[in-house]
Parts: sequence; structure tokens; C-alpha cells
Amino acid sequence: MKNKDSYGKKTKTRLLWIIVFLVIWETIAQSRTFPEAIFPSLPVIAKALGDSVVSGEILLQTGWSLALILQGLLVGLAAAVLLSSLAVRSRIFDGLVDTLTAIAHPLPGIALLPLIIIWFGTGTLAILVIIVHSVIWPMILNITTGFRAIPPIYKETGLNLGLNQVRIIKDIMIPASLPYVLSGIRIGWARAWRALISAEMIFGAVGLKGGLGWYIFKQRVFMDTPGIFAGLFVIVLIGIVVEDCVFAAFEERTVKKWGMI
Amino acid sequence: MGNDLRNKADNFRDKTVMISLQSVSKSFPRSQETLPVLNHISLDIYQGEILAVLGPSGCGKTTLLRQIAGFDKQDSGSVRMDGQEVVKPEVKRMMIFQDFNQLFPWKTVLQNVLFPLQVNRIGESDAANREIALQYLQLVELSGFEDSYPHQLSGGMKQKAAMARALALQPKVLLMDEPFGSLDALTRLSLQDLLLKIWQETGVTIALVTHDIQEAINLSDRIAVMGRRGVAGFKEIIPNLLDRPRVVGGGGYSEIYAQVYSLMDFRNENE
Repeated sequence: MKNKDSYGKKTKTRLLWIIVFLVIWETIAQSRTFPEAIFPSLPVIAKALGDSVVSGEILLQTGWSLALILQGLLVGLAAAVLLSSLAVRSRIFDGLVDTLTAIAHPLPGIALLPLIIIWFGTGTLAILVIIVHSVIWPMILNITTGFRAIPPIYKETGLNLGLNQVRIIKDIMIPASLPYVLSGIRIGWARAWRALISAEMIFGAVGLKGGLGWYIFKQRVFMDTPGIFAGLFVIVLIGIVVEDCVFAAFEERTVKKWGMI
Repeated sequence: MGNDLRNKADNFRDKTVMISLQSVSKSFPRSQETLPVLNHISLDIYQGEILAVLGPSGCGKTTLLRQIAGFDKQDSGSVRMDGQEVVKPEVKRMMIFQDFNQLFPWKTVLQNVLFPLQVNRIGESDAANREIALQYLQLVELSGFEDSYPHQLSGGMKQKAAMARALALQPKVLLMDEPFGSLDALTRLSLQDLLLKIWQETGVTIALVTHDIQEAINLSDRIAVMGRRGVAGFKEIIPNLLDRPRVVGGGGYSEIYAQVYSLMDFRNENE
């Protein structure tokens, strides 16, 4: 109950501040200090967003981006769990994974773009590669830390209860390290979103679909500032919805319910 | 006195040996040297008995229990159960730890008991397994808490749940490593009573490690007393034939207490 109360309070405080920002924004826009093409008023932005929703374009582009990011996250997560399991089990793999992470983790996905274009072209595959690269290393760091933090008693109990090695990973190590896995997915999600938007801006459209990044970039070409803000609004909205409705809700139903955090 | 002991020990002569340790040694590597913990320890555990292994902290009694469970491999000597060498943990030897964390926090009490039953296919169906799990939760007096998560339980209830989970698999022996060591005195007494009730109802063999002399006397048929360091081996294995239920101050209680106390190196370690 206490959690819910503080959660409600947080939402209220947030709403209050958002209203304050909007009022300040609108006041500046209405004062005409800046040209409308640079600093559009809220109704104009809302109309751009509305038009874009009605025409279906922003929904299509958002859906495209989300589908890509989901695929990238899933592939990244599966690979990270696999590599982390190997790393905590064998010293050779631990060294390999550690070295790979040390080399690849500091490389921003965007720095790899020119190379990825040469190797994979500018299609969906290239974007997936960038997303997977962006998520896998922070996830490995989190998951291996999580695996190593598991009290040995869980594993010993599991062995005593007759669990085989696969079950030990699936039924003991993953739930036991879920708080770490979750924060890994959170970081992965944020990284993937960034990588995706940047890549889409640079790659441009593949056919009709270029994703949300391309949508925003395209509005700049047409000097459609309200359209840019409409795109940014969608990104912010998705970020908040995923954080509060997906991650927080999942946490509420798992690790919080289990008393693990 | 020596004669008296030997006569009492005869009571165990017709018992079947279930677990037999022959000259077990174990040492752990330290930064510079190796620390010997067990040095040529031999011990028989009889079928159906409660054996208490008693000794001060750090004497190696937990290490001894872990060898029997199969968690650690001894450096030399052998641990056999029903004639077979113990090489890994198995369901027939269930360990109960002192640590409340032995329950899986992500499973409810019922799921904690049910899960190993499913993994080991104990019951013929899920419904049968459920029935078994509920039955053992009732045995440990946890009915009504099936759907609680471990973090919602008190320490005593967690240990009860761990006992239910172990017993539901119908192990031949329960290896208990100071299972009540983290509980308050009253809860500890009530869990000791519960353990005796379970022992009488199931007939399971129990090897219990403790540093609590009263606990050892209240529960066990034999008390194996270890010195300050297990390298010295067992000081003595004392048959404990007091009538049950045992009460502090009952006939023979203080004598056996004094005997055990004198064997533990509380006083002479600095001499």
C-alpha cells in the first residue's frame, strides 16, 4: 500500500510540473518572441500530431521502430543470458566474455555505423545489428553481476532437490538474479532506443518505412517544426509508458511481490 | 564409567548402519597454508536415529555435514550411504540449512514444496503432488500459509517450510545444519518439539549439527562431541538414553549435561 501511495504522489508531482512546463511554453510561444517556425505553440504541435495520427504515418513509423527494437532486445537478451551463463560456469568463457565486453562496451553504436553500412548495408539487418550491439554488453555486465551475486545456498538447495544443470539456470539462476536482469533490460531498452533513432535518421527510409527517427528527420527537411515536436512527443510518451506500464508493472508483479528488492 | 558407557553403547549394536564415514579428512586452502578442518574422522549413522553432532563454532561440524550431503568432496577417506560412495547431493539426503534463504523467494510456500515433487516426479499427477505437498505442510503445521511468499513468513515458519519441502521428497536422512540456530529461544523449543513429532511420524533418520547442548540432549539418541578443532576428531560419542519427552532437570538430565559440557573445550583452550 505504501508503495502505491508514493507512486500516486510521484505521478501527481509529475503532472503538476508538466502543466507548469506547458504553461511556460505556451506563454513564450504566444509572446511571439521567436518566429512560429522555430517555436510553435501547443495547439499547432497538437494539430501536427493529430494530423499525423489521422493520416496513420506516425503510427506506422512508430510501429515499425517498436517492432525493430523488440526484435533487437529479444535477440540481445537471449544472447546475453547465454553468454553470461557460460561465463559464470567456465573460466575460459569468462575471460572471453570479459575481453569482448571490455572492447565492445565503450563503442557507441553510432560510431560503428559507417562500418556496419559497409558490412551489412542500410537495411533492417544493419539496424538490428546496431540495436543488438547497444543492448548486449550492458546486459551481460548486469546479468553476470546478478549471477555472481546469487547466494550459493540457492544453487546448493537446487542440486539437493534434484535439479539438473538446465533447470538450475532456468529455475534458480534467472529468477534469483531477476532484479539484475531487469535493470539490464532497462538499460538495454534505453540504449536500443537511442541507437535506433540515430540509425534511422542516418539510414533514411527503406521503402515507405524509415521509423520514428526518419519521421523526425524528414520534418526538418520540410521545416515542419511542429512535426518534429510531434515526433519527439511520441518518443517521450513511449519512454514513459514503457517505464511505468511495462517495467514498473512487471517489477510489481515479480521482484517486489517476492520481497527481493 | 567407561564400562557403563560401553554397556549403553550395546543398545546400538543391533542397529543398521545407514551412513558410514571412514577416516574422512578435509582441509581448505588459505592464502599461505592449508587449514586442516577434519582429520581422519570416522562415524556411523544408524537407521532411524537422531544423531547430534555437537561442538563449538569453527570446529568443523558443518564441514562434516557437507561431506555427508555430497556438497564438498573430502580429501581422503570415504563417505558411504547404504554401501555406496557419496559423490554428489541427492534427494535421499536432504540438507536443511540454518540460513532462512534456503526457500526460493520467488515461489510461494506451496510452490516451494511442490516444485521439487514435480521435478522428481514423486506423485503420479500434478494433483497427486499437490496432495503430497499439502499433507507435508500440514505435518509442519503450516496449513493456511500455502500462498504466502517466504518474505512474509517469520524465521520459524521459514524453517518449517524448508522441513516440509525436504520431507515431502521422502529422504532417507535429514541433514540439519544448526537449523534452529537463528531462532529465538521459544520458537527454537517449539521447533524442536515439532522435529520430534515429525521424526516419530515419519521414522526419518536425522543427523543434526548444533552448538546448543540442551538441543542435543532434548533431541538426540547419540551425541557426537567434537573438540575445538575437528582435527582432533570426536572427543566421544555419548549415548543419550533419557526417556522422552525430555525436560530440563528430569532424571539423568543434569548428569548428561555435565558430561557433555566437560567434553567441550570451553575452559582449557588457553592452557
